[in-house]
Amino acid sequence: MPMKFSHILGLNARTQLFSYRYNPPVARSTASSKLKTKRVLKRAGIPVPEVYKVFKSVKDIINFDYMSLPSSFALKPNKGLGGEGIVVVKKRVPSDGRAAWITTQKKKITADDLKLHTLDILEGAYSLGNVPDRAFIEEFVGRHKAFRKYAFRGTPDIRVIVFNKVPLMAMLRLPTRQSAGRANLHQGAIAVGIDIATGITTKAYWRGKYIHRKPGSKRKLHGIKVPDWTAVLETAVRCQEVTAIGYLGADIVLHPEKGPMVLELNYQPGLSIQLANAAGLRKRLERVEDLKVRDASHGVKIAKALFMASFADRVKAEEGIKTVKVFETIVVKRADGKKVKIPAKIDTGAWRTSVGEEVARELGLLREENILWKKSVRSAMGSETRPVINLTFWLAGRKIKTPAFVAKRATLKFPIIIGRKNLKGILVDPALSPEEKKEAISEAK
Amino acid sequence: MTFRFEEILAGQKLTSFGPSNFLKYAIRGAVSAGVPTNTVVLLLLLPEVAAIIAAFRHLVGLRGFGIFLPAALSLVFVETGPVVGIGMFLIIVSVSTFVRIVLRRFKIKLQYLPRMALLLLFVVLGVLLVLFAAPVLRRPDITNVSIFPILILVLLAEDFSRVQLGKSAKTAVNLTTETLILALASFIFLTSFEVQKFALLNPEVLLLAVLLFDFFLGKYVGLRLMEFWRFRRLITG
Repeated sequence: MPMKFSHILGLNARTQLFSYRYNPPVARSTASSKLKTKRVLKRAGIPVPEVYKVFKSVKDIINFDYMSLPSSFALKPNKGLGGEGIVVVKKRVPSDGRAAWITTQKKKITADDLKLHTLDILEGAYSLGNVPDRAFIEEFVGRHKAFRKYAFRGTPDIRVIVFNKVPLMAMLRLPTRQSAGRANLHQGAIAVGIDIATGITTKAYWRGKYIHRKPGSKRKLHGIKVPDWTAVLETAVRCQEVTAIGYLGADIVLHPEKGPMVLELNYQPGLSIQLANAAGLRKRLERVEDLKVRDASHGVKIAKALFMASFADRVKAEEGIKTVKVFETIVVKRADGKKVKIPAKIDTGAWRTSVGEEVARELGLLREENILWKKSVRSAMGSETRPVINLTFWLAGRKIKTPAFVAKRATLKFPIIIGRKNLKGILVDPALSPEEKKEAISEAK
Repeated sequence: MTFRFEEILAGQKLTSFGPSNFLKYAIRGAVSAGVPTNTVVLLLLLPEVAAIIAAFRHLVGLRGFGIFLPAALSLVFVETGPVVGIGMFLIIVSVSTFVRIVLRRFKIKLQYLPRMALLLLFVVLGVLLVLFAAPVLRRPDITNVSIFPILILVLLAEDFSRVQLGKSAKTAVNLTTETLILALASFIFLTSFEVQKFALLNPEVLLLAVLLFDFFLGKYVGLRLMEFWRFRRLITG
């Protein structure tokens, strides 16, 4: 579908329609304090990097022995914006008998440097409106091995936009030489779009244009598989459930051993994620606004069904065009994982694939956890709501996973009708065999 | 200028006192009591300047340093003339940047407020230097500069270096350029004779129009002009 400007979320709409409307003051205050965010998330059992020390006053700094810290850690302002004011050290080195550390930017800093920087933070040099702030020292989260070859020095993180418990869009932010190892886009990190359905990267956007490879190398940036993808998405949604930030941008890092961890939460997440994914947020926001979402895993299921990237279709096109007949026997995956053969009709007059209610129940697909959402339809019987379920089937040698509409179609011969939406890269041969013709005529009567 | 304003006021015939002309009566009363017409005109135009700056942000996408600074800067330009105003502004900005670089180069580590105070000291020295150079430059508009425009410029320098300290130099330069553009646009608006004349003769209509404009501007949720440019790759592919 071609993109329109009305699909894109701009700053005006973000602030007025979503950020202000869905983020109550308490949610905003949680998000704007990293320490408060940590407290709320930790209480709910969501993993966050450990805090070693909080500095509230100058006295705290004077009395603190920096030598007591582990050899790697991150010093952060509590209310810093856009990753400013963060110092990450990777190891301790001896320097004239005093303590010194090497930062991720490969600079040498001493305990005095750290003290001064902490003082700056307390004075509010990095906070919004320069109000006095707190500083804290946090566990250093290293790079996951999946990203080691792609990120320059720093730790990449994953930004997930969550709305109405559905993860709408995600991107991987890769630190570069230009961003000095930091994962913030305006400092020069690369924004890499991620397919919500699979966790595989699709496109990379850097400094105003799309790139295919990591700058200065031949490493492709698309096709990277993010480990623990479903866990990443569910963690992001869980953050929304416990903080009441209705329109949320969650920053998640993958700890090499401990898995997904939440770095910070944003109630006004940036809009460049749309460029990284070549998709409009506003359309996705409006798509899920009215859905009734039960919990994190339900939300993730909906997202995977709705927002699959179109590169999946490209893969199909590369396999070559397949031809199918009007009537085909397809293989359908039951709820228990077994496969069954079911006759289906290919209907290019329908958009969405639909399944008869009886058959859907027999296959076990009408169970609560497989229902994505309900759709209201108008028919001769008046208005009613019908479920839309997750359906997996094989046609022309391809596995197709799609949302399918459940229709009342007990009398029809074909319990499954396959719509145009799932026929990309497939040609339909309208010729019928003599028996099929006879059947079709009798069916019409 | 003021003389012309009074002529304009005298040239307008007023109907009997009512909601459509109560401000006109009030203005005449104040002017005859000795309030400078120039001040009245500038005050009447200030809400429009604020609306213009707001429109630049929400319809075009230019941010600047909030709404107060560009508006104040445009008033400075009215006072000093645009050339001297921008000149002073650039001197102040470059002095504060220079001091910052020097402090960093020589690794002089000071706390935040003392560092800001030091910065202001050098900014004031820079401004004084320009004033001392007045006999050499022989520009009458420099010698006529009063304390208030200078004070506003110095305050602006503080905002500038605050952004510079917290964020990158690039952001600071961008915001400063945008502020200058906004201030210049407001300056042109403020000094346009047609606009001044209209404000003086139709204050009620003007203020009501700005009120409605502000309201609808605040409800606008479409893309900004610069966002159409930013996201153009999404449409063209």
